[in-house]
Amino acid sequence: MTFAAKLKGPGWYRALLSVPLSLAFSTALVVGVRALYGWDPLFDGEAITTVALIAMPLAFLVGIGCFDYWFYWAAGKPTRDEDHSGHGAKTWKDYFRVNTDHKVIGIQYIVTTFVFFTIGGLLAMLIRAELAAPGTQFVDPNTYNGLFSVHASLMIFLFIIPVFAGIANYVIPLMIGAPDMAFPRLNALSYWMLPMAGIMMVASFFAPGGAFATGWTAYAPLSTEVPLGQQFFTIGVQFAGASSIATALNFLVTIITMRAPGMTFFRMPLLVWANFTTSLLVVIATPFIAGSQFFVLFDRALGMNFFNSANGGDVIMYQHIFWFYSHPAVYIMMLPGFGIISEVISANARKPVFGYRMMAFSLCAIVVLGFTVWAHHMFVSGMSAWLRVPMMITTMLIAIPTGIKIFSWLATLWRGVIHLTTPMLFALGFITMFTLGGISGVMLAVIPVDIHVSDTYFIVAHIHYVLFGGSVFTIFAGLYFWFPKMTGRMYDERLGRMHFWLSFVFFNLTFGPMHLVGVDGMPRRVADYAAEFATWNAVISVSAFIFGMSYLLFLYNMITSWRNGPKAAANPWRAHTLEWQVSSPPPLFNFDEIPTIVGGPYEYGVPGAVHGVFKKPEPVAAASGGKE
Amino acid sequence: MEAATIAHEGHGHHHGPPEPNRSSRVEAQTLGMYLFIISEIMLFGAFFTAYFFIRVVIGDEWPAENMHLPVAVAGVNTAILISSSATIHWALESAKSGNRNGLKVGLLMTTLLGATFLAIQINEYVNIGFPPASNAQASIFYSLTGLHGAHVFIGLTLLVFATTRAFKGHFTEKEHRGVEIPGIYWHFVDVMWIVVYTTIYVI
Ligand SMILES: [Cu+2]
Repeated sequence: MTFAAKLKGPGWYRALLSVPLSLAFSTALVVGVRALYGWDPLFDGEAITTVALIAMPLAFLVGIGCFDYWFYWAAGKPTRDEDHSGHGAKTWKDYFRVNTDHKVIGIQYIVTTFVFFTIGGLLAMLIRAELAAPGTQFVDPNTYNGLFSVHASLMIFLFIIPVFAGIANYVIPLMIGAPDMAFPRLNALSYWMLPMAGIMMVASFFAPGGAFATGWTAYAPLSTEVPLGQQFFTIGVQFAGASSIATALNFLVTIITMRAPGMTFFRMPLLVWANFTTSLLVVIATPFIAGSQFFVLFDRALGMNFFNSANGGDVIMYQHIFWFYSHPAVYIMMLPGFGIISEVISANARKPVFGYRMMAFSLCAIVVLGFTVWAHHMFVSGMSAWLRVPMMITTMLIAIPTGIKIFSWLATLWRGVIHLTTPMLFALGFITMFTLGGISGVMLAVIPVDIHVSDTYFIVAHIHYVLFGGSVFTIFAGLYFWFPKMTGRMYDERLGRMHFWLSFVFFNLTFGPMHLVGVDGMPRRVADYAAEFATWNAVISVSAFIFGMSYLLFLYNMITSWRNGPKAAANPWRAHTLEWQVSSPPPLFNFDEIPTIVGGPYEYGVPGAVHGVFKKPEPVAAASGGKE
Repeated sequence: MEAATIAHEGHGHHHGPPEPNRSSRVEAQTLGMYLFIISEIMLFGAFFTAYFFIRVVIGDEWPAENMHLPVAVAGVNTAILISSSATIHWALESAKSGNRNGLKVGLLMTTLLGATFLAIQINEYVNIGFPPASNAQASIFYSLTGLHGAHVFIGLTLLVFATTRAFKGHFTEKEHRGVEIPGIYWHFVDVMWIVVYTTIYVI
């Protein structure tokens, strides 16, 4: 291929050309408009950055080829047959281009999100280094604020939410007996928007005035007044959010319209249920954070007055809109994990999931209740006082469906034939840690307790028990569980168990003591602290470093096993769900023939029970092809 | 819209994916558009929440004394947008009955009506006499009408695609999702305008 052809076709050459062009365009646009209106100075760095932050990612997406097919379609050119050239990966290079294969996209998601998890983890190490002793160690207070803000934003928007999307992307079409997702090109676009958001957030460290330093919550009016770094968050979140909504929409359509014959809703594996309900949350709630960040952007860039109380704006409004997304977001970060745990526990305890239907209904109950509790984050905000008690009650009510799930897992384990594999260890670790995090959550729902520990390390302890001991443990469980399926190789079980035990012990030594210093009043989000907290903080920092190093075991295990681990069998866990009935890794289009579902997904211990059978579908299925 | 052109028939031993099972009577593309509209409604919901806080919770006068909203002009504009819902419906019906000229004229008229709406709105911004920065009421006025305007623009883009394709000979009596689905979106944009017009201009 000639160089000119490389620049014209989709790919990195065109992307690397279009990005600087878009920067030049942004500069010209801003200077041009300012000249037109006669504003001074013509060259406004903040305005140019704002426009460029929107234009450059879009230019990259165009360049890399996310829109090529749609441009072709929109121009009304003759219909092309699908040649599946964007499908599958033969070499590692195929992971670096726009690929429409859900299995490739799933791995793209997982690897990308783990890159950001690693960066976020390194930031956490810096935070703990600064907090190892009272006083100033390495960073000034403003840099410290940037560290924890970027840490939290990466972990939430670039790791936990999208890594679940990655796992689900890989597994769900296989689980429901579909050859791919409903909208493969939209799927690719969703993936490629994600690194845009992550790069933006990391790049904010290079902005004049430092990284955004307002926490991941970016409360106004602080966020409308801090330096330029904030803009990187405000716009980056929009890309992460758009990616999230597009994937959720894709999951919903796939699950509704592409299930294999015989797979009724109550024969779906619980992972599918979990992602179905999560996707509903994403589609309904995520536009609210988009709205909140639009208002911040308008206030910052256009001088609007949403959060300027001197001109009729309302500051509390930010928190209402933000938390109307961000409380449901904690379930977006948890429900897919619930699904993973159901799969892992059932297969490793050799028993059907106890109370399958209640498990599905409790997911739905969490979706509904999740929208009624947002103001429990605002008990000390100065919001209308009458909202407090209703929010406390609804928050406590959520413990019921969550409790149903915990007890159903325990009942699944009861008298099971338990195999303590690495995924199972992480699942059991999850149940214990998440229960502790859930209990501190119910404590926080109680208004007086919440007022006492607001903005202390008790909050930090709670969030890490639910998000690390909860979500991240489920992510590890899921990755170890499906690693053989995704890579065709087995991971090292001994290293896996070591990873679990080191994580489990040092997780607790890191975050457990934070409850104590929190109740004693150590404030969060401050670079320094009183001398009385010095001993505990030294313990916490040392534990955190060992905890951080335990993650290297995981990375080493994953990388070396992927390269030369022993070949994995099609079904190493003897699980019943469909993804285990095909080879590891699965064939290019998942199935040669779509299987027919004849029973539930978890009939372990029932002699002769099968979930799906692979035979040529009955001619009945032909009736469905009508509209094509 | 996406899979609209994936050909499934006439391939003999085409090496491709197995035909997926259709587990719902709803078309994937239509369902996708409805879900997208749900999230769009929620985005408007966030903006209306801001409107509610600024107008009701803070309780300053509405419209603010510097804001003179051209209710009548915007009313005419509303009529223009609503009539474009009728023309897109006509275009779709024409496509279904194989009336190619009806399809083309209907799409063209819808596009022109939408563009007229947008032009009148931009003209309103230029001549309205208060900037978005003047106070919170002005901010939410520009934001809500601007958000809607952006949606008109997206809808128009889809309509231009559909019109281009119609003139290039696409769409048949059986296969007209490329008209139907932008049409669903266009109806949503119209209905949303009625809500915006009522809350901002009328009450
Ligand atoms: Cu909450």
